[in-house]
This record gives sequence, C-alpha cells and structure tokens, in this order.
Amino acid sequence: MSLSSRVRTWWRAVIRGADVDAQVDEELRFHIESYAEDLMRGGTPREEAIRRARAELGNFAARKEDCRAAWGTRWLDELRADLRYALRMLVRSPGFALVAVGSLALGIGANTAMFSVVQGIILAPLPFPNADRLVFLWQNRPGVPQLDPSYPNFEDWERTSRSFDRMSAVVFHNFDLTAPGRAEHLLGMRASSSFLATLGVTPAIGRNIARTEDQPNASSVVLISDRLWKESFAADRHVAGRSLILDGKSFTVIGVLPAGFHFLADADVITPLRPNMPAIYAERSVNSLAVLARLKSGITIGHAEAEINTIQQNLDLLYPDANRGTGITVTSLMQQIVGDVRGTVLLLFGAVSLVLLITCANLANLLLARSTARAAEFGIRTALGASRGRIVRQLMTESVVLSLAGGALGVALAGLGLRVLLAALPQSLPRSENIGLHLEVLLFTAAASIAVGIIFGLAPALQSARPDVQGALQQVSRGTIGGRHAILGRLVAMQFALTLVLMTGAGLLLRSIRNLWDVNPGFDMQHLISFQVGLSPSLTRTPAETRIGYQQLLARIRQVPGVESADLTNIVPLSGADNGGPFWIGTASPASLPEAPHALYFWTGPDYLKTMRIPLLQGRFFTPDDQLGSAKVVVIDSVLAQTFFPGENPVGRTLTVGHWGAARIVGVVGHVRHWGLDDPGTYNPRQIYIPVYELPDAMVNDFFRTLKLLVRTTLPVGEVMPAIRNVVYESSPDQPVYAVSTMDEVATESMASRKPPIVLLGAFATLALLLASVGIYGVVSYSVTRRTQEIGIRMALGADRARVSRMIVGQGVRMAGAGLGIGILAATTLVRLLPSFSRLLYGVGQRDPLTLFGVSASLVLVALVACYVPARRAASVDPMRALRHE
Amino acid sequence: MGENAPVDLLQGTLDMLVLKAVSLGPLHGYGVLLRIQQISQNRLEIQQGSLYPALYRLEHEGWIAGEWGQSENNRRARFYRLTAAGERRLEAEAKKWNEFAGVIGSILGTAPEQL
Repeated sequence: MSLSSRVRTWWRAVIRGADVDAQVDEELRFHIESYAEDLMRGGTPREEAIRRARAELGNFAARKEDCRAAWGTRWLDELRADLRYALRMLVRSPGFALVAVGSLALGIGANTAMFSVVQGIILAPLPFPNADRLVFLWQNRPGVPQLDPSYPNFEDWERTSRSFDRMSAVVFHNFDLTAPGRAEHLLGMRASSSFLATLGVTPAIGRNIARTEDQPNASSVVLISDRLWKESFAADRHVAGRSLILDGKSFTVIGVLPAGFHFLADADVITPLRPNMPAIYAERSVNSLAVLARLKSGITIGHAEAEINTIQQNLDLLYPDANRGTGITVTSLMQQIVGDVRGTVLLLFGAVSLVLLITCANLANLLLARSTARAAEFGIRTALGASRGRIVRQLMTESVVLSLAGGALGVALAGLGLRVLLAALPQSLPRSENIGLHLEVLLFTAAASIAVGIIFGLAPALQSARPDVQGALQQVSRGTIGGRHAILGRLVAMQFALTLVLMTGAGLLLRSIRNLWDVNPGFDMQHLISFQVGLSPSLTRTPAETRIGYQQLLARIRQVPGVESADLTNIVPLSGADNGGPFWIGTASPASLPEAPHALYFWTGPDYLKTMRIPLLQGRFFTPDDQLGSAKVVVIDSVLAQTFFPGENPVGRTLTVGHWGAARIVGVVGHVRHWGLDDPGTYNPRQIYIPVYELPDAMVNDFFRTLKLLVRTTLPVGEVMPAIRNVVYESSPDQPVYAVSTMDEVATESMASRKPPIVLLGAFATLALLLASVGIYGVVSYSVTRRTQEIGIRMALGADRARVSRMIVGQGVRMAGAGLGIGILAATTLVRLLPSFSRLLYGVGQRDPLTLFGVSASLVLVALVACYVPARRAASVDPMRALRHE
Repeated sequence: MGENAPVDLLQGTLDMLVLKAVSLGPLHGYGVLLRIQQISQNRLEIQQGSLYPALYRLEHEGWIAGEWGQSENNRRARFYRLTAAGERRLEAEAKKWNEFAGVIGSILGTAPEQL
C-alpha cells in the first residue's frame, strides 16, 4: 500500500468530487453498454439486454457512492451531510440559534479580547534577538529591593564578571532640541558604547557609538530615531555628519536607529554616557543608572547573580563607606518590563474564563432543553437504524457549528471591544502597543470555540442519544420532572455563583477607588498644574544665568491672570518620581552611606509650600534669601521630625544631606503621600526640603532642566495654560513647554494599576449578569412549558394564579439562591488566595459585608425579574386547554 | 472495513482475483470481469456491483493504476494496470492463499489412521 496514492486519490475525491463522479459514471455506462452488446450478440433483444445489464450492476447511484467511498471520503460526505442538516435545524429554530450564538459570541469575544492582552503583554517575545538572555542588574540593600547601580560599580562589574557577553549602562535623559526645526522636548538616553550591541540592535543608517566616543571629553555625537530622522532631517540618507542642538550644545549625528526601536520608552536620541555624564555620577555611593547585560548562552540568572554578588562583596570590602551592605539582583528584561502587570493580566484572564464558563452553561442548558424537545426525532432516527454514534456525531456537529459561529461573531466583537479597551487602558501599561487580534489570538479563539462546542455539546448529545426508542416515540416523559431539570437548575446555580464572584471583585475595587479619592494626600490637589519648560540655551550659558533665567520665568508666570502662585520642584508628589539619598543628624558622617537613613529630597523654590498648600507645622519655609552663599538650611516633614526628634523641637538642629552638606533645620511641614494615595508609608517615608537655589554650580545646568513648574490657579486649566505658554514663548521662542498635566491627572495616573482591573472586571461582571439572566430566564420558561399540564392540574384542583406564579418564581429564586451561597464562599476564598487581587484593595475588608450584600441583593432582583415573565405565562395557563393538550 | 467475517473473506479474494487479472495485461472494468470468468471457466460468479468499488479501492491503495484509453470497440474506457506495489501485493496474497489452501487441504485430507 502506498500513502502517496491514498492521499492523491482522497484529495482528488475531495477537491474534484464532480470529476470523479463523472469518471465513475462513464465507466459504469461503458460497462452496461459492453455487457448489453455481449448479451445482444447472444440473441437477447436490445431492451431486455440493457435491463439485465443494469440490474446486475445494481443501484447506479449507490455504486457511484461506493466508488467514491473507496477513496476514503465517506466521513467527509457524512460531515457534509451533518453540516447541511445542522444548518437547516438552526435556521428552523432561529430563536434558539440567536440566543446560543449570541451568548457564545459575548463569551468567546470577551475571551478573545483578553487573550490578545495576555498574548501582547506576557507571551509575545521582546523585539530583540535572544531577548530571554537580556537582564538588568540592580543594587539592593536591606529594605530597598531595587536601587540604581552607581557608575564606578558598573565599571568594575563590566571589567571583572564572566557571566555576561556584554554589559552596558544607560540613563534616561530628556533633551530640549532647538535646531534644526521647531523647539521640541525629546525623550532620550545616555548610554555606554556597548548599549545597542547588548540589545543586539544595529543602526539602520550610519554606525554605532565607538568605544573612543564613550570617554570623558570625547566629541559630542548622537544616534537619532527613525521619527526624528524623517521629521527633522527629511529622511536624508546622508544624515551622518549633520548636527543637532540639544540642551544648547551641538551634537554630530552618527547614525539612525531602526524604525520601531523601543527600549522601555520611545527614545528619539541616544548620546554616549561618559562625556555627557554629570560629575556626581563618578561617586560610588550615587545610585544613578540602569545596567543592562546579555547573559552568556547557557548561563542562568541564578549563576550570574551568584557570580556578580561575589564580585560585589569584594567591592564592599574595598569601598565600605559607599558600598557596605550592598547586594545585587539580576532581573530579566521581560520581568522588569511586565512586572506586577503580569499578575493583574493573568487575574483578569482568569476572570474572563469565568464568563466563558457562564456562556458554556447557557449553551449546555439550551442544548439539553432542546434535546428533550427533539427526543421524538432521535427516536425515529434510531428506529430507522441510525447508530448511537451517528446521532452523537450529528449533535456534536450542531454544537460545534454553533460554537464556531459564536467564535466568528466573537472575534468581530473582540475587535470592537479591544478598541474601547485600549483607549481605556492607562498610558503606563507596558507593551500595550503589542496588543491586537494577531494570528496566535485567532488560533486560540478557533481552538477555544471548537473545544467549547465539543465539551459542552457532548453531555447533551450523549443524553439525547440514549437508546430509549420506545419512550421517545411515545413521548411519555412529558410533564414529568426528571433528571434533566436537576442538571438545568445546577447549571443556573453555577452561573449565579460565578456572576457573584465577578461582581464582588468589581464591587470591592470600586469601593477601594472611592476610598482612595477620599484620602488626604497632605496637599491640595485642586487647581494645580504641573509642567516643564526647556529654558532657551541663550539664557542658560552659566549656572548663575540659569538660576536667574528660571527666577525671571517664574516672575512672568506669576503675573498671568488666574495664577495664584507658582514655583519649582524636582519631584512632583504622586508622579512616581524618586530622588532620595542618605542623611544623618549632626555632622559626623556614618561609616557607610548605604546603611545611613534615607529620605526623599525635594529641591524646591520658596513658594513651593504655598503653591502646594502643605501645612507649615513649625518654624519657617524658605525665603528668596536662601540661596548659594547663604547658610545652608533645610525643612523636614513631620514623619522625619517624629522619628528622629521625638518630643523635641527639631528647629535649629543640624542635619547633613549626603553629597550636599550639613544644614540647619529651619522648619517642619506636613507629610505628603508621595508614593501614591495608598502609600502605606513603608518605603522611604521621610522627606527633606532643600532650597533649589542652593544647588552647587556644577550641578545646576543639568539639574534645572529636569525641574517641574507647579502652578496654583484660580481659573480652569484650559483658560490659564494658553496664557502661560504665551508668556514662555514671548520671553524666547526656542523654549518648549511640555509634560503638562493637572494634579488630578497625576493622581489618576498614580492609581493606573487599578484602572484595567476595574474597567475589565466591571465589564466582565456586566456580561456575566446578562448571560446569567438569559440563562435563568431560559430554564424557567422551559420548565413552565414542560409543566403546562401539571400547572393545569394544580389550577383545576383549586390553586389560584398568584400561587402558581409564586411557585414558578420560587423555583427560579431557589436556583439562584443556591448559587449565591456558593458564590459568596468562592468569592471570599478567592480574594484571600489571590494576592494579585487583594493588593489592589484599599480601605475595604476582603469580605466586605456591604459589597457582598449589595451584590447578592441585586442578583436576587435580577432573578426575580427574569422569572417574572415565565411566571406570568404560567399563571395565565387555561386549565382546560392544558389538560386537553395531552 | 467490513461488518462481518464472510464479506471480509470474499472481499479479500475478489481483490486478489482482480490483481491477478490485470497482472496478465491492462484491462478495463468489464474486461476484468470477463477475464476472471474466462480463466475460471465460468465457475466463479462475480457480483458485478462489488467489482467497481473494489477497483477504486485497489487504486486508492496504489496497487493498480487507471488510465483512459481506447477499447476494442473503439470507445473511451478506463484501463487498469498492475503497479510495482500491486505486483508485490499479489505475490504476498498468492503465497498466503497457497499456504492457507495447503493447510486446509492437508486437514481435510487427513485419514483417521494418520492421527
């Protein structure tokens, strides 16, 4: 036997079925005619000869089918017949088909949309060759799991470690571009020369940063993005050698990054790190940059971490004041990018699979109910000789046709849903640009649809195909409440249980968000705008000029109508920005900087406190006289005061800020919830305010570019901001105004990690509620139809209409009620077992009675409403007609 | 393939006879029928209805190959010839059949004194 001939003939029979038919036809005709001729030669009359020839060959059509079947197409022909039959059955009961396909489309659509999120964020590989070998190296110390490494430590690691193919350092630094073209604020990076090679990326045009260009005093070169190349250089193929003015300094373009290059952000410019590095980065105790490395092939993260920690222990011994107590953590790039989001996405995928289960329960219910109605049909088919297997296959074909139709419609719904979803997702969600209905997603949907059709079609099909020929033909089962009702009831209970779980989740999150908005952040969030201005290079040639430039800019902004007050700060509360370091009381420096207490440093102007409306508790805040040359002063927050000066007055005492110097404490202000409204106060809760005009000259030009302007207004933002822009552009047109956001927006973004769960859980809970109410409605009205006769008897025996409707409603509510009990148990258990969910809660208990009660009550209400229509139908049964119905 | 044993046996036999018939030279379907009758001197009655499904099955297995050609009365007819795989198959079938016939023959020919 030969496989190729089998495949060839099968394929011909499938694809060119008509040709094969014609061929068999011709052969058989030839046979009949030849045989008839032979018979005629033997003396048989023509008519008789043809008749006999035909008769001996047998049924012509059946022979043709046998021949085709010999080529292995029987199952295909049967499938075709089953499909035709299934479609005819569905067209004949459009109501059933509509509810089934509609339910499936919602369930599968929601799952498709959610799977595309899982695929885009978690499953899709990063766009770098062998991306699984890319890792970040972080320093840590007790209580602080992730600290930026210092540049000197990076140099030592790079030189001595053996676990990595390449290691590189990178710092995000945004630049103000002033030429060519319009002034623009650009996202950018300063990176060591090995950065692109570590990623495995080569420039599309030109070349990479050379090692000699990553030296202190090397000439200024830059790599630009595809976007910048197109917009600022009109896609000039010979762009290498042209120049760019960044932060007032001229840079020579050496290359263009590939289109779509994205590393954590969409950087437009990359400059070498070393020549552009702030002087303070040379300090071993300054946590300043990110270290990216490529593991050698075959080296695990564990191995690399062990090796690099051994190296670091030696460095700790060599430089105890800067390093003691420092450990190194190696994290994969993927883990770093996806992080906590992974847990949330998987949680939501779990939630949406509950929606699919509810959908499937609807499908199973519908099929079960229908199989009862079709019992006579199957009885007849069995009586006519159809095997049980054939009937099961027929029914499975029907359910798979339903689920595939649902899946196809679901993909369309998912397409719409994704568009809404992506608009609702926060900007900060990593990798959301990867989300879409890709091939993998469509394959998942197809597989899920077929699986749903098979799994949830199988039980009803097996039940229908029970060899109960006689019973089915006689239809004796009418009016009895058999095992099927118990199954239907249980499925409805399960639907209500799952819906309750989803609604409870959404409810708890909603209550958390409400609670968060009620939190007092320690400042007044209303009427507050934050933005940045890139001051013109002509105004920032020297540190002294820079300071004056910003003071004059502020003076102008304060004149704008509607502006109440305005000042500078390096970090905006709730924005997630981090800028901290060691401090100590008195002047004696500690043995090791990493082991000294740490605080957040707020470098601000004198009007910052007034602008933020942070309460002054003791002493004073800064004045315009607190500037370089005058005595160093600081202001501390209430947490630092209570921790380090319990029961004492800190005003007048001395506090030393690491890398800056000893200063006199002149005031105490209220604590600000910097890390978020839900900040539990465990990470870096102490806050120190330092006058921004006391910043040493060496740091001014780089640091002032990163300062934010905070403006308190009396008018709406939309009215004030254009005027502020005008003032900035009037003083010099080459000054970009960017990163404009209201403090409300900053606060909202600080809760961004809760937004997808709330939006999606809310949507899933709504879907679940809809599907469950369709489910209970279907089952109760089906049961009313089945019990018409029983109801007739009851009424004939004296039951009044109210009693009958109570009975029907009672039946439905009992089913739902059973589900609620299980649901409450499941919900409270799940919340406890899922830390990725419970960490999103704020100010609300895991088994919050108000939420549980509210959700249960609304579900009972839904059950009542869904049962009302069938109950009314039951109550309007005419006893005489119902009895005659038999 | 079949529902019960006798059909199976018959089918297997028919396959072998068809293979033998076309091994003597390419034949169309009707010709196969005639040749089997001729060789068997009309002692074997072939069910005409089962001949064509058998031809298609053998072609599906790759043991015979069909091609359109001219019949003796100048009509278009599909001629079947034995393939290399079919030749091996016929040999194996014939060997099996002969062994089987030998065993059955020796059983049937056993006399009481031989036991």
